[in-house]
Amino acid sequence: MLHEFSYLAPRERKDLLQLLKKHSGQARLLAGGTDLLCDIRLGTDKPAYLIDVKHIPEMQGITWSERDGLAIGATVTCIEIMRHPVIAKKFPLLAHAAGHIGSAQLRNRATIGGNLCTASPCADLGCSSLALGARVELASVRGTRVIPMKEFFTGVKATQLKDDEVVQRVLYPAEAAGAAWGMEKLKRIKGHDLAVVSVAIARTATWLRVGIGSCAPTPVVTADLPPQATAAAVVAAAFKVVNPIDDVRASRDFRLFMVEEFIRKLLPALA
Amino acid sequence: MNTKHTVAVTVNGKKYTREVVGHRTLLRFLREDLGLTGTKEGCGAGECGACTVILNGKTVNSCLVLAPEADGATIETVEGEAKNGKLSNLQEAFHRNHGVQCGFCTPGMLMSVKALLKEHPKPTVDQIKEAIEGNFCRCTGYQQIIESVLDATGQLKPKTEEMRRV
Amino acid sequence: MFENIPHEELKVVGKGIERIDTVEKLTGAALYTGDWVVPGMLHAKVKRSPHAKARIKRIDTSKAEKLPGVHAVLTGKELDYRVGLYLVDKHILAKDVVRHFGEAVAAVAAETPAIAQQAVDLIQVDYEVMEPVLEPKSAAKKGAPLVHPDLGTYEYVKEVFTPIPGTNIANHTKLRKGDVEKGFKEADVIVEREYTNPNVQHVPMETHVAIGQWLLGDRISIITSAQSPFTVRNLFAHSFKIPHCNIRVYIPSVGGGFGGKAGIHLEPLCCVLSRQAGGRPVKIQATREEEFSLLPCRSGLVYHIKTGVKKNGKIVAQQMTMYWDAGAYADYAVNVTRASGYSAAGPYEIPNAWVDAYTVYTNKPFGTAYRGFGHVEFSWGLERHMDLCARTLGMDPLKFRLANTLKPGSVTLTGEVITEHTGNVGRCLEEVAKAIGYGKLTPAEKAREKKTGMKIGKAVVALHKAPAMPPFTGTVVILKMNEDGTVTANLSLTEIGAGTYTSIVQIIAEALGFPVEKVRLPIENDTDRDPYDWQTVASKGLLLSGNAAILAAHDLLGKAYEVAAQVLRANPCDLDHDDEKVFLRHHPAKCVTFKAMAVGYAYPDGNAIGGPLVGVGRYVAQGLSNLDKETGQGNPALDWTYGAHGLVVEAHPRTGEYNIIKVASAFDVGKVINVKSVRGQIIGGMLQGLGTAMCEGYRYAPDGRLLNPNFTDNKIPTSLDLPEEIDCIAVETPQIDGPFGARGVGEHSMIAIGAALGNALQNAVGADLTHLPIRQEDVWRALPKGGKGPEGKIP
Ligand SMILES: Cc1cc2nc3c(=O)[nH]c(=O)nc-3n(C[C@H](O)[C@H](O)[C@H](O)COP(=O)(O)OP(=O)(O)OC[C@H]3O[C@@H](n4cnc5c(N)ncnc54)[C@H](O)[C@@H]3O)c2cc1C
Ligand code: FES
Ligand code: FES
Repeated sequence: MLHEFSYLAPRERKDLLQLLKKHSGQARLLAGGTDLLCDIRLGTDKPAYLIDVKHIPEMQGITWSERDGLAIGATVTCIEIMRHPVIAKKFPLLAHAAGHIGSAQLRNRATIGGNLCTASPCADLGCSSLALGARVELASVRGTRVIPMKEFFTGVKATQLKDDEVVQRVLYPAEAAGAAWGMEKLKRIKGHDLAVVSVAIARTATWLRVGIGSCAPTPVVTADLPPQATAAAVVAAAFKVVNPIDDVRASRDFRLFMVEEFIRKLLPALA
Repeated sequence: MNTKHTVAVTVNGKKYTREVVGHRTLLRFLREDLGLTGTKEGCGAGECGACTVILNGKTVNSCLVLAPEADGATIETVEGEAKNGKLSNLQEAFHRNHGVQCGFCTPGMLMSVKALLKEHPKPTVDQIKEAIEGNFCRCTGYQQIIESVLDATGQLKPKTEEMRRV
Repeated sequence: MFENIPHEELKVVGKGIERIDTVEKLTGAALYTGDWVVPGMLHAKVKRSPHAKARIKRIDTSKAEKLPGVHAVLTGKELDYRVGLYLVDKHILAKDVVRHFGEAVAAVAAETPAIAQQAVDLIQVDYEVMEPVLEPKSAAKKGAPLVHPDLGTYEYVKEVFTPIPGTNIANHTKLRKGDVEKGFKEADVIVEREYTNPNVQHVPMETHVAIGQWLLGDRISIITSAQSPFTVRNLFAHSFKIPHCNIRVYIPSVGGGFGGKAGIHLEPLCCVLSRQAGGRPVKIQATREEEFSLLPCRSGLVYHIKTGVKKNGKIVAQQMTMYWDAGAYADYAVNVTRASGYSAAGPYEIPNAWVDAYTVYTNKPFGTAYRGFGHVEFSWGLERHMDLCARTLGMDPLKFRLANTLKPGSVTLTGEVITEHTGNVGRCLEEVAKAIGYGKLTPAEKAREKKTGMKIGKAVVALHKAPAMPPFTGTVVILKMNEDGTVTANLSLTEIGAGTYTSIVQIIAEALGFPVEKVRLPIENDTDRDPYDWQTVASKGLLLSGNAAILAAHDLLGKAYEVAAQVLRANPCDLDHDDEKVFLRHHPAKCVTFKAMAVGYAYPDGNAIGGPLVGVGRYVAQGLSNLDKETGQGNPALDWTYGAHGLVVEAHPRTGEYNIIKVASAFDVGKVINVKSVRGQIIGGMLQGLGTAMCEGYRYAPDGRLLNPNFTDNKIPTSLDLPEEIDCIAVETPQIDGPFGARGVGEHSMIAIGAALGNALQNAVGADLTHLPIRQEDVWRALPKGGKGPEGKIP
C-alpha cells in the first residue's frame, strides 16, 4: 500500500526543473517506478511529491553519432535498449545487460535513469555502463553538467545528484562502440533475480575494463588495462576495486571466487 | 495537498473515466474503481506477475504503475479475453490442458502469454518460459501452462501431455 | 470400493477431463476472498513486533484511536482468548510478551486500508528486548530460557500428545519397535549423521485474507481464504465459547493453500475487530511480507539418524531423533512431529527402531502444516542417509533401497502389516531408475559432459506418506437431484487448486452412470449449507470424500429405484438405469425418467409419491487407532501412497553451478481418477519440492529478525527453473477401500526430491551436503577441492 502523495507530470524540462527546485527534498522523480514504488510501499521512502519524468523530451530517445557517441535518454526503458538497432550493433553489452534485468513486465517499465539513480550495487546497467566508460549528464535550473559515471556513484544507494538535479542522459563514447564484450550475472535461481555477482568486460584496441556489480558499496570498474592483459592481471585489477560483504545473498568468499571465475571464463571468449 | 486526477482509459475496448488520487496504483484502480477484480495482487512489489496487464501493447506489473500514469492508455486485462460468450483459443487451450489449478496466477499469466503470441505466433518452449518468467505459479509447476501455450499454437505433440501408467 | 474395474470399462474415471473450475478462473470471474466487498466493510492492519523476544512494557494506542476514520483498536490486553487445534497456545494478539519477529501486538480497523496503516504507525509500543532462543537442539535442553513458561497450564489433546512443562518441548512422540540395542549389536556397520532443514514458507499466490463480522447476539459471519471451513468454525467456537450454530464460515475460490491455510489464522482477529467496531464487517489481507512472519511457515528440522546395517545390505536397527523447530507456537507442529515420527524411516522395513521426536518452541515464526506434513523435511535427511549407508557398505544405492523396501508381509514402524494391496514402492523405484537410465551415462550424456565441462550425476529416492489425521476422521457428501434430473453435490472439502473437485465429480458421474455435465459441484463452501468435513489436508480428500460420493450416489439411486419400483410395479432388483431413466431390465421400454421423479413423482391425477430425491453418503476411516504413547504402536494410516523420484543433474566441478536435466517421478496412486490432474499434482509438487531443495528457506539475524521475508530474497522457482525434462509415471495397485481403488497424491510429489538432488550432486561432483537448501554456493563449499575462496590475491 502506498502512502498519500501528490503526482505531478510536467511536460517540459523547465517545468520539471522548477518543480524539483520548488519541492526540493520532498519530491522524488518517478520514472518506471520499479524501484521507487517498492520503496514507498515498504515505507522506506515517504516523499510528498512524485514528479513523473517520462514526458520530458530531452530525457527521451536514443541518439548516435560518430562524433558524440551514443546518448540514451534517462527515461529509456530496458526493452527499448534491448531492441535498438544501433545499440544491438555497436553496444551489444548494454543490450545484454538490459535484457537480463528482472522479468519482461519489469523491463517494459524499468528505465536506465532509474537503474543508475537507485545506485544499487547490483544495478546491471551500472557495471556494464562503467565498463564502457559512460558519463552521466545532469541537469538542474542551475544548468547542465557531465560527469564520469565512475564519480556518479558515491556509496550504497548514494550518488552525486543534488536535490534539484535530474539525470538527463547517459553518454557512451564513440570509441567504445564495437568493443568486444562479455557479461556474466550470478543469480540464485534461473528466473529473474538481482545479481549476486556480476562481471561485465569491454575491450577495444586501446583498453580493457571490467565493471563489477554486487561486490562493493556501488558498481565498480577496474582501471583501464591494456587490451592484452593476462587473466591474472585482470583479476588482480578487479580485486583492487572490489570489497564484497557477507549477506543474505552470498558470502564474501564466494563472491570473490565468482569474480575471478567469471573473468577467467569471459576473457578468452569476448565477442 | 493530494491532488485528484482525471484518468481516462480504454480497458478491453471500453472507455472509462474516473477521478483518482495520485497514489492510486493501476492495480487498485482496475480492481476497486472499475470493478475489474480478475487481475490479482500477489506481492505488490513487481516480483510475482499476478497483477500483469497489457498497457499500450506491453505487459506491465500493474502494482507498480500509478493510475494517473495510465491516463489516455489502452489496457487489456483477463476480462477482455473471452469474446461473445466464448473462451478465446488461448483460454480453451488452458482449459483442455489443466493450465490452471488454484487460478490465482492465471489472469496475469494469460496476459503475458497473449503479449508473447502477438510477437511470436509460434513460440518455442524457451520463448514461452522466458515470457512467463515474471509470472509465479505455485501450483502447476508451469509444465501444463507451457503445454497449453503449445496447444494454442498448434504445436503440442499428441500424447506428450499423457502419463505412463503401469 | 469398486477397486477392480479395469480402465476400459470406466466411462469417466481415469480420463483427463477438463477441470470443472477453470472457466471462471480463466475469465477472471472466479471470486476470491480478496475480491469480496461487503457493505459497510472496514479494513484492518496490524502492528507487528520487530523483535524476536521482548516484554511488552506499554502500548500507547491513544493517537491511533483519535485518528478520523478509525473504528476499532485492539491490543492483546483486551483479548483473553487462546486458539489452537491440538495444543491451545496462541493468543490472537501478543499478550505481555512477543515470541517471534513479526508477531501481531495490536490491530486497527478503519474505513480505508490507508487510514488503518496510518493508525498502526501511530501506535507506540515500548519493548524490553530479551535474548531469544533460536536453535531447537539447545532450546530443548533443560534450563534453556522458556518460550512458554505456562506450558503446563495449556489445554491439549491428551490421548495423542505429550508436552513437557518446564521445558520448551511442546510434544515428545516416542516410537519403540523391536530391540534397537540388540539390533545395533548384530549390525556389521553403524552409520550416523545429522541433517537439517530451515523454515520454509508455503507461498500460496493468494496471501491469507478474511472478512469477519460479529453481530449482536454473538452471530458470526466469516468469509475467508481457508482450507477447512469446519475447522475454522470449530476452533472459533471453542476459543470464544460460542455455539457452533451461531457461526457461519463461507469459503469462495482459494488461491492456493499448501497447508498454510489449514487451521484458523486471521479469522478471529477480524471478528474481534468487528465486534469492537459495533458489528461492521472487517477485512484483513496479509501483505506478502506478513505472509512470511505474521502467518505461519513450515517448521525447521534437525534430524539425527543412526543406522545399523548388515554387510548384505539389510538394515537391522535404526535410531532416529528429530528436533522440530516449531517456532513460537507449536499447535500444528505437534502433529507434524507425531506424523513424521511414525513415518520417519521412510518406506523401508526396520526390524528394530527407536524414534524420539520433539516439538521444540523457539523464538521464530511458527510452523504449521505444509504439503508433505513433515515428510519433505525428514526425507531430506533420510534419503541422504540411505545413500550414505549404501556408500559405506560399498553397495549400489538403488539395490540397497530395494533390499529394504516395505513389501507384502513387512511390518511398519507402528506394527502395521503390509499387504499386496498397500502399494508397491519397489516398482516405483524400478520405474524411475529405468526412466533416468540409472547407473550409467548414455553416449549423449557423456558427450554433453565433454562439451560443457560439467559432470552428470544420477540418483533415485523413495518415499511414502499416509494421511495425518485423527483415526475417526469422517466426511459426508450429499447429492440433490434437480428438477430436470441433473444433480448438485454438496461437501465441505475445499477446492484449493488440487483438482479434487473434478475427480469427485468424475466419481459421482461414474457411480451414477451419468455424464459429468449432469453433475454440478459448486466451488464455494458454506458451513450453514454444506455437510461436515474435518479438513482439506493430508491427501485424504479423494479417498474419504470419494467414498462418501459413491455411497451418496448409491443412496440416491436406491431412492429413485424405490419410487420407480412403485411406478413400474416392479421389484427393485429387476430395475436398471441410464442417465435419463430407470427401466425394467427385461422390458426397457417400461421406464420412468429421473426428471419425473426428481422432486416427487406425480401420477396423472396429481397424487404424488417419493418427494425430492436426495442421496446421502457418509464415510468414516476404517480400522484406525490412536498410537500408544509409550511405544508408538497402533494403526494410524488410512492408506500409504508410495513413490520414487529419479533425478539427473549436471554440476560444475569447480564452481558448483548445477542444472537439473531430468526428473522422473512415479507414485502408486492406486487408480488414476483424472490423468491430467494426477500429472498436475506430480509436476506442481515436484517443482515446489525443488524450491525447498534449491533456493527457499528463512534466514535470520543473530537477534532473530527474519532477513528475507519477501520474494527479493526468498526466491521461488519460476518457469525457467523447471528441469529440462519431466517424466511422470502412475503405478496402479488398487487400494481396497479407495474409491475405484484410488489413493491421494496431493502431497507426495514434494517429498524426497531434495534428497534426490543432493544425492545426484554428490554422485556428480562429490559435494556431500547435509543442509537444505542447496544453493550454488553450498555446492561450491562442499566440493572436495573447492570452497576455498579465489585463487587470485586479495589485497
Ligand atoms: C522484481 C524486481 C526485479 C528487479 N531486477 C533487477 C535486475 O535484475 N537488475 C537490476 O539492475 N535492477 C533490477 N530491479 C531494480 C529496478 O527495476 C531497476 O533498477 C530499474 O532500472 C529502475 O528503473 P525505474 O525507471 O523503474 O526507476 P524508478 O523506480 O522510477 O526510480 C528509481 C530511483 O531513481 C530516481 N530517478 C529515476 N529517474 C531519474 C532521473 N532521470 N534523474 C534522477 N533520478 C531519477 C527515482 O527518484 C528513484 O529514486 C528489479 C526490481 C524489481 C522490483
Ligand atoms: S502483485 Fe504486482 S508483481 Fe506481484
Ligand atoms: S494455478 Fe495456483 S498459482 Fe498458478
